[in-house]
Amino acid sequence: MAYLARLGAPVRGFLEFLGDQAHLVLRTLRHALLLRMNQLAVVAGQVKLQIRFTGLDALWLVSGTALLLGAVTLIQAFSQLSGLGAENYIGVLMVLIILRELGPLLTAVLIIGRSATAIAAELGAMQLNGEVDALAIHGINPYQYLLLPRWLGVLISVFVLVVFFDTAALAGGFLVAKFKYGVTFGFYMESVRQTLSNLDFLATLLKIVLFAGAITFHACHFGLRIQRSQTEIPQAVTKTVVSALVAVFALDGLIAALFYF
Amino acid sequence: MIQASDLALQAPDGRLLMEGLELAVPRGGNLLLTGPSGCGKSRLLKVLAGTERPARGQVRVGGREIWPVGGVLALTGHVRLGFAFASGGLLSNLSLRENIALPLRFLDLPLPDQQRRTEGALQRLDLQAVAGLRPHAVSAAARKHGNLARVLALEPELILLDDPLEGLDAGDRAIAQDLIQAWSESAAVTLLIAAEEPHAFSFLEAERHQLSGAPMSVESP
Repeated sequence: MAYLARLGAPVRGFLEFLGDQAHLVLRTLRHALLLRMNQLAVVAGQVKLQIRFTGLDALWLVSGTALLLGAVTLIQAFSQLSGLGAENYIGVLMVLIILRELGPLLTAVLIIGRSATAIAAELGAMQLNGEVDALAIHGINPYQYLLLPRWLGVLISVFVLVVFFDTAALAGGFLVAKFKYGVTFGFYMESVRQTLSNLDFLATLLKIVLFAGAITFHACHFGLRIQRSQTEIPQAVTKTVVSALVAVFALDGLIAALFYF
Repeated sequence: MIQASDLALQAPDGRLLMEGLELAVPRGGNLLLTGPSGCGKSRLLKVLAGTERPARGQVRVGGREIWPVGGVLALTGHVRLGFAFASGGLLSNLSLRENIALPLRFLDLPLPDQQRRTEGALQRLDLQAVAGLRPHAVSAAARKHGNLARVLALEPELILLDDPLEGLDAGDRAIAQDLIQAWSESAAVTLLIAAEEPHAFSFLEAERHQLSGAPMSVESP
């Protein structure tokens, strides 16, 4: 029995974690619906701050990474497949590798590294300093002031950063295609357009929504669980990174299976 | 205003701090809770504010149940509550002025009223010179006064003060005492203070109770 209990404990822990996440999401949605007009301005201000940190400040990092990735993808593809008419499959390669998979996935990974860690650490420090209690006591709903703006800010930022990532990666790929094979911009874009389908847009949008939710609520969950000492903050940050990465990869696999399997 | 019955409080290490606490404070009543450091005064205030769950018992504030279910969010929009923390409690990414104004922005108050109350509270607590600074950039006394100013600007019906005079010099203490006395004389305000040293509140007309950790009954007239 003790062996079975040891086996069951992680499963129960995982199910409790999923329950906590669902609880956080549902309560945030419910309290979002209770927002009054005068409170919207305060929440909007917090959303703007989150967008600036998660989206705007990461724009160059994401665009630069994507530009290099797009270029490297085509360099490697051409080096292996040059005898097989690789230039005819430029669009297929870019859509399959970058737009469908790596764009949303690597954007999410970069945001986990930059923003999920910051959210978890910030909320943890706020908990320790009594700031979360102070908000709630003085009539400022923490779901409305802390969780909702972070969720919306991360959601908008992920959307914008995925668009920038894909655009920069396509630009990087085009530079290689142009200088290596003299491919024209029109041919390159036509090749990409022919491979892209509405399903790709739908899958990417779904990824953006789910990734943003997973990143934000993992960070909020681990940050707000901090209760006792500063030493819990780095532990919460580490747990956020590991847990959010696993969630994002699992969701990515699930969506790939759902749309393309 | 506050009714608590069969209340039991535990320390984080599981040690029982108090049990069987019966508490009744009517609207407009004043209660001073004293006791040695670590006896659970601050914890009791947090339980009564709805931010900390008691080990056992029921708590109602302003007729609304907050424990065993409800918590602080059950009071939002129903009972206006002010809490001055012994330390911390101010948002570290906002200036003192923004900290005081934030709860007012969540109320349905016109902007001129928000500004009037914020500036009035800053002036009353003598914080105007440091109003634009964040909590980490001001003295501990200014942070303490910032907590009181936030409560003052909110004009709450229930005020909980956790060691509001601790660590203040004579000048700052006089300002805080003056404010606390005004609250204690107001029939619209229910005041609960937790403090280690009762003699610091000799000016206050309030029921006084010593917390010892034993089963007890506290009733304020």
